[in-house]
Order: sequence, then C-alpha cells, then structure tokens
Amino acid sequence: MKESINQILKELEGLNTIELVQKKLKVKKNTAIKKIHELRKLGYVETSGGGKQPRIYRVSRIKIQKIGNPGLYEIINQNSPIKLVKPYEHRIINKALTIEEAIVKAVKSGNFRLILASLALFNKLKNWSRLYEFAKKENVRRKTGALYEVARAIIRVRRMDDKTNRLLLNAKKENKYIVQGLKSKDFQDIEKKWKVYIPFDHKDLKRYRE
Amino acid sequence: MINLEQQNELFKLIGESLKNKIECYVIGGSAMLYYGTKGSTKDVDLVFEHYEDRKKIIDTLKSLGFKERSSRVVSLVYVKKKNTPIMLERDETRFDLFVNKIINTALSDAMKERVKSLYEYEKFIVKVLAPEDLIITKCATERAGDRKDAYEIIHSTKIDWSIIIKESIYQAEVTPYLFPVFLFDFLYELKEDLKADIPRKVLDEIKKISEDMLERKLKRNS
Repeated sequence: MKESINQILKELEGLNTIELVQKKLKVKKNTAIKKIHELRKLGYVETSGGGKQPRIYRVSRIKIQKIGNPGLYEIINQNSPIKLVKPYEHRIINKALTIEEAIVKAVKSGNFRLILASLALFNKLKNWSRLYEFAKKENVRRKTGALYEVARAIIRVRRMDDKTNRLLLNAKKENKYIVQGLKSKDFQDIEKKWKVYIPFDHKDLKRYRE
Repeated sequence: MINLEQQNELFKLIGESLKNKIECYVIGGSAMLYYGTKGSTKDVDLVFEHYEDRKKIIDTLKSLGFKERSSRVVSLVYVKKKNTPIMLERDETRFDLFVNKIINTALSDAMKERVKSLYEYEKFIVKVLAPEDLIITKCATERAGDRKDAYEIIHSTKIDWSIIIKESIYQAEVTPYLFPVFLFDFLYELKEDLKADIPRKVLDEIKKISEDMLERKLKRNS
C-alpha cells in the first residue's frame, strides 16, 4: 500500500488540476477526485483556488510539518482578495499571529505585493492600541498609519480612534519609503500628511474595487 | 536522540529565554524532522549568520543545563575537518552550532533564498534549508549516517538536480575546495552502494565538471 502511494505521489508531484490528475493516472474524474481526497487526508496535498478560479492541487512527496499556527502568508490569504504564493511555509509556535501583528509584519517586509494584499486586513482589525504597540516596536508607525488611510480610501474600514491616530502621526525617525524607491502619483495628500511615500497608485488597487 | 516534538519544546524554551530576535538555519537530521523524512536525530545542527547570535544561543543553552564539549570531542566527531561547530550536550541531546560555514560548505545567499519553511518560536526564528541544500551540506561532512540521510532525502523528495549542480560550482568558487569532486564521490557511492535514484546524466555532468576543475587546478599548479 505504502509503495503504491509513493508511486502515485511520484506521478503527481507538483501542481495539478483534476483533469491533469485524470490524465496522469489514466483514471475517470470520480476516481481522480477520490485519490486527491485520500492524499490530502494523508497530508500530501495542498489545495488553492476554487470559486471562480480553477482548483489547483499541489502534490508533494514530503509533508512539511504544520506545527503551531498559521503564519503571515496564510493569514493574508485567508483575509484578502489578493492571494499570495507562499515563498515558504511560515508557522508560529506557542501563539497565534494576530491581524494587528500581521499588518505590521507586512509593512515591515517592504514587499510591494505583500503590503498590497495586507491592506485587506485593516477591515478585520479590532484592537487599535495593539496595532500601535506592534508598529512602535518595529518602528513603522507612520507607514502603518498612512497605509490605513489608503485602505480606508478603497475598502470599508472601521475608523481609527483619535489617540492611536495621534500617536502614529507623532512618530519620528522613520524611513520614508514603504517600498524602496516607490512613490505615489495618486495618494500625495496621504503622503504629505504622514511624511512617507505610498507605493501604490489607484490602478494597483483595482482588485479591491472588483 | 531527539524527535520533532522534543526539538520543538527545546526551541520554545530557547525562544522564551531570548531578549532579542535571533535567526538561524537548521540543517541535517533536525531539518529532516520538519520534512517528516526522519523520526529522530542524534544532533541538532544550526547555522548562524553572526558569531554574536551563536554566542547568545550558547549562553541560553548553558542556562538550560547544556555543557560545551571540548575541542578534542569535536575533532573525534569531525575528523580532520575545518569549520567545525561548537558542540553542547545535555543527556542524549547534542547541539552542533556553526557560523556561516558547515565544514567544507558555505551557507550561500541562494541557499537562504531556497528556504522551504520558517518557524517562529517567540524570539527564536528557525529556517529550514531546502532538501537539495541538505544534500549539499551532507556531502562534505562525512559523518556516520550522512549517506543514509541523503539517501532518505533523495528517496522521499523530488530533487531538482540542477540546483545541486549549480550550487556545487558556486561552492567551488567561494571555498578553497573542489566541491564538485566531493559531490561526485558522495553521489556515486549513494547510487552504487545504496541504489539511490540519481540520474546517470547528473552523475556524468558532475564528473565532467570535476574533471575540468581538476585539470584547471593542475595547470595552475604546474
């Protein structure tokens, strides 16, 4: 049995659609679905897509141990319409990553797509003072405040309390670039207020308006 | 011997004890625990980018009851090798702590980019090298069990052999060793003795690279 699973895994390793599984294993669609279901139960398959997008199955012969709690990429993918390809499996041990911490981690990364996708998290944010604490720790207070305003311009976001707003705005000695070298043509008013450069223009945020 | 659960407990303890974030790369058997290709390992192999980070982990481990082994013991495990680790031991668990170089192998930027998973244990951040890089690091250590581990990795993973070939050429550039020669010997023995699934084409390519390098070295020396 173990050998036959190994054989199937060898055949399917990599990205697959259900049609591709059918073709590789030379089986009917129902059998292909059943096989993928069995392999997923054993931990060899990760699924992405679905809904309007085609369902993609990533089959791997090794099972990266999913110990602990989901990391930054998984949190963003769960909450944002902009999905990210995980460059690596990220797990947090001993605690769960909060939305507030995820926003700050994304801002700190300086990664354009990561920050773009993380804007959706402002919609799920509950604890403003926790957001401030994390932003202060990582010295990204102005950047976080500016991105909150960008998020507010494109999606429904709860209003930030005045105290947090004031504290974020009071931050000093912060690098002006959220993404190195990128400035905005469309959000200059926010840039001026927060004294940081917004890396996005309206066209970058089109996905949020769909 | 230590399994994944015990390793996690230890890393959690380390993470809780640290004042500032420290990142390291996990290699060898410890990395294989994360891939599920090994149930337990004799030693926890960690590679740091900075000496001061290693120093902090040494202090933390000492505070958890680990004792540093003498250089005589280290030289018994890593016979006639350079860039040997600092070893700390407690009961049946041993930590081998390297900085940037693992015996004959340098921790390259490409290796860092190929990291497959990252685990955050509070302030202790552990990155797991890709299977291809685990084979690279194992090929130069010549410790008992390394061949068996490499066989297990090859058997249970889809190896991108082009990564291994490219990395071995890079290693020859940045270290004083003819890395592809080591790699060829290592893989050849794996294929011949353990019947590892290594394509003949790959072995031929590494052999060719090794011979060219040896020839160039001989010319330079004559």
